[in-house]
Amino acid sequence: MALKTPEEFVQSLADLHLQIYLFGEKVDDYVNHPLIRPSINCMAMTYELAAMPEYEDLMLATSHLTGEKINRFTHIHQSAEDLAKKVKMQRLLGQKTGSCFQRCVGMDAVNALYSVTWETDQARGTDYHERFKKYLRYLQEEDLVADGAMTDPKGDRSLPPHQQPDPDVYVHIVEKRDDGIVVRGAKAHQTGACNSHEIIVMPTIAMREGDEDFAVSFSCPANAEGVSYIYGRQSCDTRKLEETDLDVGNMRFGGQEALMVFDDVFVPWEHVYMCGEIEFSGALVERFAGFHRQSYGGCKVGVGDVLIGAAALAAEYNGVARASHIKDKIIEMTHLNETLFSCGLACSYEGVKMPAGNWQIDMLLANVCKQNITRFPYEIARLAEDIAGGLMVTMPSAQDLADEKIGPIVEKFLVGTCDTPVIDRMRVLRLIENLTLGAGAVGYRTESLHGAGSPQAQRIMIARQSNLNHKKELAKAIAEVGKPWEKNRVKKPTAVAG
Amino acid sequence: MKVVYCGGCNPHIDRETVAADLPQDDPDVPRGATVHVSGCLRACASDHQLVAEGDGRAGAGAEGASAGPERPPVIVVAGELVDGVPTPSSELAAAVTRKLKE
Repeated sequence: MALKTPEEFVQSLADLHLQIYLFGEKVDDYVNHPLIRPSINCMAMTYELAAMPEYEDLMLATSHLTGEKINRFTHIHQSAEDLAKKVKMQRLLGQKTGSCFQRCVGMDAVNALYSVTWETDQARGTDYHERFKKYLRYLQEEDLVADGAMTDPKGDRSLPPHQQPDPDVYVHIVEKRDDGIVVRGAKAHQTGACNSHEIIVMPTIAMREGDEDFAVSFSCPANAEGVSYIYGRQSCDTRKLEETDLDVGNMRFGGQEALMVFDDVFVPWEHVYMCGEIEFSGALVERFAGFHRQSYGGCKVGVGDVLIGAAALAAEYNGVARASHIKDKIIEMTHLNETLFSCGLACSYEGVKMPAGNWQIDMLLANVCKQNITRFPYEIARLAEDIAGGLMVTMPSAQDLADEKIGPIVEKFLVGTCDTPVIDRMRVLRLIENLTLGAGAVGYRTESLHGAGSPQAQRIMIARQSNLNHKKELAKAIAEVGKPWEKNRVKKPTAVAG
Repeated sequence: MKVVYCGGCNPHIDRETVAADLPQDDPDVPRGATVHVSGCLRACASDHQLVAEGDGRAGAGAEGASAGPERPPVIVVAGELVDGVPTPSSELAAAVTRKLKE
């Protein structure tokens, strides 16, 4: 077993010397940058918990390739129970970080590629699956983080990739050589990309004839020549530069997204897993999206647990915890959160063993899961704001609280229940602000809406699998549609007739 | 030949028609063959497996799927899939029949 410690992970990340740009400047010491470090702490938590016996059941799995214990984030699901444990692990990590911990995208990418490479080989006589298994073994043995990179910038959405005025808005092959391919383009919204050792690229849509150069999947080191990252901003992100923990709300942990650029990156054939097989691009997109839509039934639920806890504390500190309407709001938040968890578990337990040998979630239920995720966190956040009160957005700053003259005034008027220190009341309100409006809201709200596909993408999948004809037949049978109607046998009810 | 049905709570295909169209008493179909017929992709009839374990056909399924020429074939129909391969509903029985005779 070669599991990394959190410290080894951070050092290994620093050793990559990634090309990261933030605020127009290249960041060399990115592992210690105050805007970036919280996201690294999240990723490090996936290593920290894996080393703790009390979390081993969820955090570790047994590799089907080597028989060794590995971090579950590098595991190929071998049963419905594995799928369910994935969701539970994600809830646990959401609880521990109150944030997006970013490592799911790589896990979902390897599980999608596992079956698609196998099926491509069966149909085309290629050897992608063996290549991919060799790479997977490397990820598992080195306990690496892989970024699952799917979303292209896409340019003009009305045009297919090969008709874009600038083809670089989709990652594509610009050259095929004897020893590999050269790719160019970019991937947008890349969660955790700057915290990854490896990048796994997949096409972003089902490709059609003419798009062969865009139907490409490969892996490369995150520090491969030609790969660079432009760090994405988050609301209130510069509060992390103020050198005070209070106003950030969640100082230790945070999410991360970046625009990842491929400027003529060379990829050897042994790391190419799709190269022009347009007919398999749709399956890869659907399976990755399906796994990732399942993921949200765990990670967002864990963050929801933190937000519900914060709302309950805010009510306590305000002295209203016993009010019936407050209790009812907490119940509603819990109901919504557990409904999301139920969806994550349901699509896991209804999963199937694929011909490739791995287990895949139920696609309909995974899409229903994600569709609910596009809604319920917003209502949970609204209720949290309701309970917290307006102070969460009007509170004076940490500097005011610390000031010799102003501080006592702030403390005097921000008091809640007598036995609660004002600083603790402020901390909890700032956490709620972080999750509902601040940097944490990127993960909890907008990522819930658009991550793993925007709402309409799920509705298309739901429509495709809804089995509507069967439902119509059920209704026809109950309503006796088509049965001859004997009009002359109709009688008025006795009471009316009398 | 044995036909094993799922419970039938979400049929995307007409399971009974598929079963009825399978060959009966065909000397080319190995004795003891089994066809799992599930109405949807959840493949409940075959314990959620799109390719049956213990299928006697050489090369059936991927790694881990035990194969042996001495055992009779086991075919899985799950909605519009036959052993995991997309197949239009009108061609399901024919596809199964072909596989049984392979």
